[in-house]
Amino acid sequence: MLSSFNTDLKPFEELAGSFAAKELVKKVEEHDRHPFGPFFSDVLDKAYEVGFLGVMLPEELGGIGQDIRALCIILDSICRADGSLGGIIFTSALAQEVMLAAGAHKEAGKIFSKAASAKEFLVAYPSFCNPGQLVKLPHATKSGRNYLLTGEIEYVVMGGIASRALIPARIDDQAGYSFLLADLSDKGLEKSEPVFSLGFHACPAVDVTFKGVKARLVGEEGRGSVYFDAASRKMHVAAAAMNAGIMKGSFNEALAYAKERFQGGREIINWSEVSMILANMLIKANVADLCVAQACQAVRQENGQWGRHCMAAALHVHELACDATSDGIQVLGGNGYMKDYGQEKRYRDARQVQALLGIAPLKKIALIREAAGLDDPCAPA
Amino acid sequence: MLSRGEIADRLSSYPAFEDTMLGLQYAPRMPKAMVKETREVVAIARKFNEEVARPSALVLDRRTHEDPDYLPWELVEEANRRGFYTMWIPKLFGGKGFNLPSMSSFSEEVGSVCLGIMNVIGVHYLGVAGLMTSYNTPLIRRVLSEVVQGEKTGKPCLIALAITEPGAGTDVEEMELLEKGKVTCHARRVKGGYIVNGRKIFISMGHVSTWTALYGYSDLKNPSETTVGMMVKLGMKGFSLGTHENKMGQRVCPASELIFEDCFVPDDQVIADAQSVRKCSKKPLKEINMRYMDYTMSATRAGVGAFGTGAARGAFEKALAFANETELHGKPLINHEWVQCMLAEMYKNVMLGRLAYMEANCANGLRGAYKLLQLKPMYYYQKYMPQAYFDRVVSPLLEKESSTWLMRKMAYDWHDLADDRCASGWASLAKFTGTDFGIRNCQMAIELMGQAGLRQDRGVEKILRDAKLVQIYEGTNQLNRLNLFKCLIAPAHPKAKIFAE
Repeated sequence: MLSSFNTDLKPFEELAGSFAAKELVKKVEEHDRHPFGPFFSDVLDKAYEVGFLGVMLPEELGGIGQDIRALCIILDSICRADGSLGGIIFTSALAQEVMLAAGAHKEAGKIFSKAASAKEFLVAYPSFCNPGQLVKLPHATKSGRNYLLTGEIEYVVMGGIASRALIPARIDDQAGYSFLLADLSDKGLEKSEPVFSLGFHACPAVDVTFKGVKARLVGEEGRGSVYFDAASRKMHVAAAAMNAGIMKGSFNEALAYAKERFQGGREIINWSEVSMILANMLIKANVADLCVAQACQAVRQENGQWGRHCMAAALHVHELACDATSDGIQVLGGNGYMKDYGQEKRYRDARQVQALLGIAPLKKIALIREAAGLDDPCAPA
Repeated sequence: MLSRGEIADRLSSYPAFEDTMLGLQYAPRMPKAMVKETREVVAIARKFNEEVARPSALVLDRRTHEDPDYLPWELVEEANRRGFYTMWIPKLFGGKGFNLPSMSSFSEEVGSVCLGIMNVIGVHYLGVAGLMTSYNTPLIRRVLSEVVQGEKTGKPCLIALAITEPGAGTDVEEMELLEKGKVTCHARRVKGGYIVNGRKIFISMGHVSTWTALYGYSDLKNPSETTVGMMVKLGMKGFSLGTHENKMGQRVCPASELIFEDCFVPDDQVIADAQSVRKCSKKPLKEINMRYMDYTMSATRAGVGAFGTGAARGAFEKALAFANETELHGKPLINHEWVQCMLAEMYKNVMLGRLAYMEANCANGLRGAYKLLQLKPMYYYQKYMPQAYFDRVVSPLLEKESSTWLMRKMAYDWHDLADDRCASGWASLAKFTGTDFGIRNCQMAIELMGQAGLRQDRGVEKILRDAKLVQIYEGTNQLNRLNLFKCLIAPAHPKAKIFAE
C-alpha cells in the first residue's frame, strides 16, 4: 500500500480505515439497498466532517489541502469496505479539480468555504463520462452575466443530493464545450429518480433536464476539454486506487473464506486450484498497489509523460480488478453470489469504477494517440 | 489405404476418435425430424421473448429489488399456460415429448433476453432430470402426471432439485469429494420409509415448486454409498421453507432454503436408495451414485452451457444496438474498426458457446442419457404414436417394478462407462465454455457502453449480474474443468488421479 512507501501518509490510512470499520463495514448491505432503501445521509455527513469531501482542495478554500497520495490512500481504504462512499469522495474531488483547473478559485471559495453541510459542500458532476465523447450536451445561451441552460444530461452523480452541479454544456454554436455551475434547486430543473445502476448504489446519479436554468460559467468559454483533461489525468490515479481497494477487500474476504470452508474433507485453501486463484488475486492486488504508488509519484514529479502513465496505470488496474473480483465470487461459490457477503458488490463496483471518466476503450485510443503525437479526437477542433 | 484393424487401432489411441467430433459421428444417426422440431422450439422461444420475456425482464428485476420476497407466480402461470413445463417430458409420461437437445436452443433464446426468466422455466427440468435418471418408473409416472395435470387445470406443478447443503456445494456433485464431505441432511431408515432431518440451500424455485427431488444420506459418515433420493411435496409434515436468498442476479428465480424436521417420506416416494439399487446391480454403490450424477449432469450442464451462451448473445445484442445508435466523432460507433473487431469477437464467442453445447448434446444422443430416446425407431415411435396409446397401453407397464429393474439394468450394468465419461466430459466442457463466454461478452459490452452500460434500464448490467451465477451452479467451472480432466484426459493416462493431491 501507498503508506508502505510513504510513512507520512499512515495517519490518513488509519483515519479512513477506522472510519470504514466504524461507519461502513457492518452496514454495507443495508446501504447498498438504495434507491430501494434510505440513502446513508448520516455517513455522508460524517465523511464531510472528517474532510473526505475536500481532500485535495486547498485549506483556504475549505478543504484539507492534501495531494493525490492522500486522496488515493483514503479511497483505497474506504473502497475495501464500500465503493459507494468512494464514488462520492471521487466525484467531489473531480468536480473540485475541474473548477481549480479552470482557475475558478474565487467561485470555489464561495461554495466550499461557506458550506455548512455535506449537501452544500458537494458539487454534483457526471463523473462517468468524458464530455468530449458525448454527442448530446445541454445547450447554454448567454443571458447578461450568466447563461441559460436547456437540454438534458444523463447520470449526474449525487445530483439528487447536492445543492449544485457542475455541468458540461455547449455554448451556442461553439465547437468545444464549457463548464457551468447550476443551482440544483432551480425551478426550471427537473431531476429523475435515482438511476438504478450496476454498482455504487449508495452513490446515486440522476438524469437532469434543464429548461432555461440560470448558470454561471466556470473558467472560459469553450475550454471545457482542457479543464477536464487536466483534472482527469490526476483523477485516473484516484479511480485506480478505488479499484485497488476493492480488489484488496475481495482478496481478504476470499482468503478468510478459503481458510474456513471445507471441501472434500479439508479447507479449500488446501486444494491447489483454489490456491492458484487466490495467488492470482493477490498478484493483481499487489500489482495494483504498485501501479497506484508509482502513478502518484509521477503526478507529484509532473514529468513530461505523467498523465499518460496515470491513465495507463488506471486502465490496467481496472482490468485487474474486474478479473479479480469475479474470482473473488468464485472462491466463495454460491455464497459469493449472495448479498450476505461483500463479494458480489465488489464485482459490481469494480466495473462501475472502470467506467469513471469515460468509455474504457476510448481512453486507450486517446492514450495511443497522445503517445504517437496525434490529436485527441475528443479535443476541441 | 489402411486396413480396418489399422484404422481402428489408430483411432483408439489418445485422443480417441470416438471421444471427439461427436457431431460428425452423430449426424447420420440423428432422426431428421429433430431439425424441424428444433426450428419450432426456437420459434416458440422467440414468440415468448417478444410477448413476455422482453417486456417484463427489467420490470421484474426491479420489482425483486423493491420487494426481495417477490415470487414469480404470474410468470410461472404464463409458462404453464404456454405448456413449457411439459414440453420436454417424454410422451411416455404424458408430456409433449420434444427432443431434449432442443431445450438447449430454447434456453439460449430465452436466456439471451433474461436468464432469470429462463431459469423459472428451465430449473423445473433439473428436477425432472433428477427424477427421470433414477429410472423409478412408477414414481416418475406419478409425479409427472401431476405436472401434466397442472397444465390442464391451470395450477402449475413444478419440480425442484435439492442437493446443495450449507456446508457442501461442490462436494455433493462428486463422489470422491462426497466421501470426505460434511453433509448433514440425514435420512434415517424407519418402517415404511425414511425420516429426514437437515437443511438444503440455494434451491432454485424451491418456494414455488410443488415437488422437490431431495437427496439425503442414511449414513452421514459414508454419504457416497448411502445416498437416498426422495420426492417431497410442499405441505408434507416436517417440510418447511426457510429464507429466500438475496442474490445478485437471476432474482426473478428464487433460491430457497428447505428445512426438514423429522419429515417422514414414505417408501413410495423414495426415488432410489441402496436397497432398491442393489436389486438391479451389483456394482459398487459409489460408482452407481456417480453414474446417476453423471446422467443428470450430462444433460443439465450442457443446458447451463446454453444459458451461458444466451448471456453471451444477450450482451452481444445490447452492444450491437448501442454501436448502431451511438455516434462518436461524427460517425456511428459501429463504423469504427475497433468496435467492429470487438463485435466480431463477441459474435465468435456466441457461436463457439453454441457449438460446444450442441456437441455435448450430440455426445448425450450418441453415447449418453439421450441415447435410447433418440434412437430413430424409438424417436419416431414416440413422436407419431397417439398420446392415447401411451396413456392406455404403455403407461400401465411403467407401473411395474420390472420396468424400473430393466431401465436401471440398462443404465448401470449394460451401459459402457466410457460412454458415460464421454458425455459427462463434454457436458462439463460445454458448461464452462458457454458460461465463461457469457461473462467475457458481458464484460466487453459493459466496457463498450461505458456510462450507458451501468444503467439497469439499458439491460446489459443485468445480464452481467445474471451471468455470473451460471459460472457457479451445476458445479463451479473449476469443478467442471476437473470433471473434464477426469472424463476425457485421465482415462488415457494411468498415472493421473483426481482429487488425490
